[in-house]
Amino acid sequence: MAQWFDKHTLQNGMVVLGEPMEGVNSVAFDFMIPAGAAVMPEGTCGAANIIEDWIFRGAGEMNSRQLSDAMDSLGLHRSSSIGSHHFTVGAALESSNVEKALELHADIILRPLLDNDQFNLAKQLAADDLHGLDDDPRQKVMVRLKEEFYPKPLGISTHGHAEDLKSLTTDQCRKLIGNHFNLSDTIFAIAGKYDFDRVVNLVEKLFGGEDAKPKIDTAIQSSGDYYTHLHHEGAQVHIGVMTPTVTAADENYYNIRTAVSVLSGGMSARLFTEVREKRGLCYAVGARYHSMKEAAGISCYAGTTPDKAQQTLDVIMTEFNRLKDGISEEEMQRAKTGLKSALILQSESSSSRAAGIGSDYYMFGRIRSLDEIKEKIEQTTAESVVNYLRQNSFKDFWVVTIGPKQITIG
Amino acid sequence: MEFKHKQLDNGLTIIGEYNGGAKSAAVGFFVKTGGRDETSEINGVSHFLEHMMFKGTDKLSAFEVNEAFDRTGAQFNAFTSEEATVYYAAILPEYLRDITELWSQLMRPSLRTDDFNIEKNVIKEEIAMYQDMPNFDVMDRCRALHFEGHPCGNSVLGTVQSIDALTAEQMREYFGRRYSAGNMILTVVGNFDWDMVCTVAKENCGRWEKKIVNRETADYEGTSKKEHFEKANLVREHICLFSHSVSVQDSRRFAAGLLGVILGDDVGSRFFWELVDKAIAETAVFQHAPMDGTGVNLSYIRCSKDNASTVMKKINAIFEDVRKNGVTEAELSTAKNKVLSSLVIKNEVPMGRLVDMGFNWMYLKEYRSVQDDINSIRNVSCDDIIEIIKDYDLGRYTQFNLGPVKK
Repeated sequence: MAQWFDKHTLQNGMVVLGEPMEGVNSVAFDFMIPAGAAVMPEGTCGAANIIEDWIFRGAGEMNSRQLSDAMDSLGLHRSSSIGSHHFTVGAALESSNVEKALELHADIILRPLLDNDQFNLAKQLAADDLHGLDDDPRQKVMVRLKEEFYPKPLGISTHGHAEDLKSLTTDQCRKLIGNHFNLSDTIFAIAGKYDFDRVVNLVEKLFGGEDAKPKIDTAIQSSGDYYTHLHHEGAQVHIGVMTPTVTAADENYYNIRTAVSVLSGGMSARLFTEVREKRGLCYAVGARYHSMKEAAGISCYAGTTPDKAQQTLDVIMTEFNRLKDGISEEEMQRAKTGLKSALILQSESSSSRAAGIGSDYYMFGRIRSLDEIKEKIEQTTAESVVNYLRQNSFKDFWVVTIGPKQITIG
Repeated sequence: MEFKHKQLDNGLTIIGEYNGGAKSAAVGFFVKTGGRDETSEINGVSHFLEHMMFKGTDKLSAFEVNEAFDRTGAQFNAFTSEEATVYYAAILPEYLRDITELWSQLMRPSLRTDDFNIEKNVIKEEIAMYQDMPNFDVMDRCRALHFEGHPCGNSVLGTVQSIDALTAEQMREYFGRRYSAGNMILTVVGNFDWDMVCTVAKENCGRWEKKIVNRETADYEGTSKKEHFEKANLVREHICLFSHSVSVQDSRRFAAGLLGVILGDDVGSRFFWELVDKAIAETAVFQHAPMDGTGVNLSYIRCSKDNASTVMKKINAIFEDVRKNGVTEAELSTAKNKVLSSLVIKNEVPMGRLVDMGFNWMYLKEYRSVQDDINSIRNVSCDDIIEIIKDYDLGRYTQFNLGPVKK
């Protein structure tokens, strides 16, 4: 079956996207609301985390308990996440309940109760979650790495900053919801089993009445320190490394994606082979591509016991720099097959398709078909990747370590 | 959906669930061996062996194995638990033959001493990694405390000492005993050619030896001991509880699972409303984990050190209330909706289905369709749940607290 996408724009500008899937009984949808961590005003880092909890504490005619029971009785799997640009709230469920689920989400997004008492609980939980990150150095190192790497405030922590969290008030957060829950700049994406006409009619009825609000621009400043070490008396040194590259909209995007796949696509990829298989330095080591609209990077994580930390970083840096020296045909073929196969395997899940079409629309203003992506991957060659890397070699690296021992950055 | 089954003369079972509409297939070997089948001298060997299985055969080097997987774009991995070691791959149908062949050959590895010595470092790094993850660490410690004297208390990873002391010869001996054809199941799900799978299995696995493999499966109530450990680098209190419950062979496992969702699902459960909603703890979950011949309920809570005693008071009150008053029809119906919906969503992807298929056969020697599970869940009544609560005292739990040093 050829891939098909649905699209409709509401009067107020909200975009409704859909991808029907054969052979599934589930449906998944996401509201991508422009209320992510990086678009919030300075001094409010963590507001999105409070809001993420607060809006579920009662909405429309329902108190917190009734709302939760209503969602659970639909067998609905809630999902919400805070990204740099978007606060995404969504669900996956059996398709016959989708209309009721959308009605509940209209209450949550448009008519949250926002009680004062509930605010304090939401704030406490956001603060506790942030404390919990201190007990999870593996995650914390990557959160901090993005903060240092991306020009501020793009990479700002999606877990919040303690001082900001502490100072946030109900009024401030209410106002942020008022300004940032902007439907004219919201993307709604649905995938799985659904009837698009009915979805559009319902979404128009539920969300179409909201007026457009002005878009909020973020002033972009410079990046943070090249090396940050946070002392932690743990068993391992957790190492995060990141270097800039092209964004997903760039013509060299697929060259870079393939390069990252050569570096860290599978178990025969270079990082796994050199760091783990040949030298036994780490259990966990891997690199991935990460892109925002404004900037992008290749990040790498490795966790290792203190005595091996320096060697681990040195081997990782060697592998980044060695990419431009050449890539064999077999490596290239494996990298491309890995990328294509991951694409198709993910396409079987309604949740990942809903997320995929939403983020494509945000990044490119359109949805790329799987065939288009496959073809672009197919077109890359060892020569095109190496030529690009020779002209644009990796120069600047941001490094963050958490653990009992610092390392030396070359 | 169509169920397929075949057993080779040496006892290797091959099962499949065919779905011609799937874009992918998933294939894997399920080996009924894990931490509980080890003695203290070889603690950690099952998991270490799982790593070594990727190091190749007499014909394939470790790198060639990784290359062979990556050539097909397979998403492949393996995991080891107390009870099982599972090797799996999600794959496009056109590569299924290659990957089935590859897994079949890897199940008879070389276990070279050189590879063993390098991989030892990786295993020790994995142990160190989990030490820095207090949520795992506390669960491991609580499991050991609960199952003191019972093999289910064995750590899957082992310790740095046990791994250091382990020899390649000991591993080969363990492999010879446990990876017998009759103790393994080849499972395939999604879009596949059944005749091809059987032919590949026969060619590659038909000569494997047939041996009798045993396991100690005595039921175990647990110690209900309480312990705590302080670690200077921690900020939060991590609490783990284990209590006795029904086994995977017990048909009441569906009721026990629903009780778990009512009490401790991450949202909308009693734990959620009493602990998370009120911001006493940021995480509080309770779930039923059925095992071979025995079973446990396990809880994990993360909170501030100051709140730890309030948390335990609240939890004891929840257990006491449910013991006295049972659960409501509304709670049960909500829990069913949640469980049924995740069941359906998970099984839409072949990789999700593979694991349920393999484990059902491993434990029950039975094919259960998704619909069979749906029916079993629908049939659970409040009385079934009350019976479980009566037979398995929730208040009799083992507890381990891992937290910051007292000021």
